[in-house]
Amino acid sequence: MAAPEAVASPLLGAPALTDEDAARSHDRSRVHRARRQRKRWYLLWLLVGPGILAMLGENDGPSMIAYASDGAQYGLGFFVPFIPILFVMAYVCQEMCMRVGAVTHRGYGELVLQRYGRVWGWFGAADLTVTNLVTLVAEFVAMRVGLAYFHLGSGVAVALGLVLVMFTLSGGRYWRWERIVLGMALFNGLFLLAAILVKPHVGALVSSFDFTPFPGGSFNTLLLLLASTIGATVTPWMIFFQQSASADKGMTPGDVNHGRYDTAVGAVLAAVFGIGALVAGAALLSHDGSGIQGFAGAGFPEALEHVAGPAAGTVFALGLIEAGAVAILTISASTAYAAGECVGASHSFNSSPRSAAVFYAANIAVALLAAVVIVIPGAPLLSIALNANVLATVLLPVSLVLMIMLANDKQLMGSWANKRSTNAIGIAVIAFVGVCGAAYGIDSFLQAIHLLGS
Amino acid sequence: MSSDAPAINGECERHGACEDGQLALEHPEDQLIMHLERDQTVAETSIPVPRAALGARAVAGLWALRVFVVIVSIMVIYTFVDQLH
Repeated sequence: MAAPEAVASPLLGAPALTDEDAARSHDRSRVHRARRQRKRWYLLWLLVGPGILAMLGENDGPSMIAYASDGAQYGLGFFVPFIPILFVMAYVCQEMCMRVGAVTHRGYGELVLQRYGRVWGWFGAADLTVTNLVTLVAEFVAMRVGLAYFHLGSGVAVALGLVLVMFTLSGGRYWRWERIVLGMALFNGLFLLAAILVKPHVGALVSSFDFTPFPGGSFNTLLLLLASTIGATVTPWMIFFQQSASADKGMTPGDVNHGRYDTAVGAVLAAVFGIGALVAGAALLSHDGSGIQGFAGAGFPEALEHVAGPAAGTVFALGLIEAGAVAILTISASTAYAAGECVGASHSFNSSPRSAAVFYAANIAVALLAAVVIVIPGAPLLSIALNANVLATVLLPVSLVLMIMLANDKQLMGSWANKRSTNAIGIAVIAFVGVCGAAYGIDSFLQAIHLLGS
Repeated sequence: MSSDAPAINGECERHGACEDGQLALEHPEDQLIMHLERDQTVAETSIPVPRAALGARAVAGLWALRVFVVIVSIMVIYTFVDQLH
């Protein structure tokens, strides 16, 4: 890896320090001071970030539309308890990423490449790039759907997304990037507000925790629901992002407990806001989901306006814009981390664009490429969006298997390696995700080659 | 660079027992350089970790994973292309 702009340390035996080290050291000085002065809440404020961003970043445009569509088509039953279960699964996976990042100070991509060889390293990066690109296309479309409610076109969605990427990158500091995106991510709570505005029946909400009614329809539809809902909760980019961001933030083993709080808070917020989108969508159930037309529920805000008033439609549309925008920032960042780690170039928001050209270029390029796709006339956006979550789910077991191997690596993790109970839960999660993803992939393939009826 | 950065301090810093700039050379593995642990500096993280020595079962498992990924990916890509038509 390049160590640009290194300056010789005046300390005997100390390594040369870079501007990236200096910026990270500045952030760490505040953590040490807060810890020394026993300012618990301030310390928590300093150390939260990667976990909340990974979780709320995954409450992205397609995911929130998927939750709302589930609500509109199947009601609250099954999904209200299922979403929290998925976020518990996400917590188990993301806690491992945070712990490996804090203990090793290295990103997922570079550890896989160095510990398990180039094949897996490059496969992980390629898998991530492809799934991120298709997901980013869906994010721009989600922003377009939200903006369309305000009579604004796809050009505004593209410009807004790219300006946000450029603006957040402009500071040359991880802390600045994280705080801006964190501030934006909290507006994911708009989906909770939308749920309140549709005035749901509280009794129906409470009674839905018994997992009934189970969604009907064909086996393939059920698998699609499971695969896309899992894909809306746990994805490869979250694994890359949280480990790399934890390392970039400068977290250490001493911060692991705070990293767990960060991840848990993110999971709870994401589950609550996801259920908010589901409840808002369920308001359309008695209207047979009418008004949701075309790709990705493009008519959702308008349909909500008809059923629950203009405030509900406006809040839902703003929520879609926020969800798409935050995901564009976090998913672009995960691509940039993976690119820098795999080519061995500097990969930190604390580095200048000149020092980390690959990192910054990948961050902008992947967002730009996705933006270009959505303005191509006749681009197969429907197929891309439908397959984005499914492809992520199908390829997710690979990322999870390698993650669990890293978290069990005693040479890397020492006493911070996984305990048996964590492994048992992690393996169960991998098995569940793997079976659902593979079953849907196989079932859809058999239908595509007409060996199975739909 | 942080203006209040200490030169080197160590484990005592982590527990709030010593002042900035103090040396704690009894525990070199816990040594801080400025406010960073030694192993989180760019110079240290630039050194690759060694390749893992995997057992026969782990290697077989990873090969099975490769086969799984290739087969399922082909199916998903075929389905995607089929949907385009």
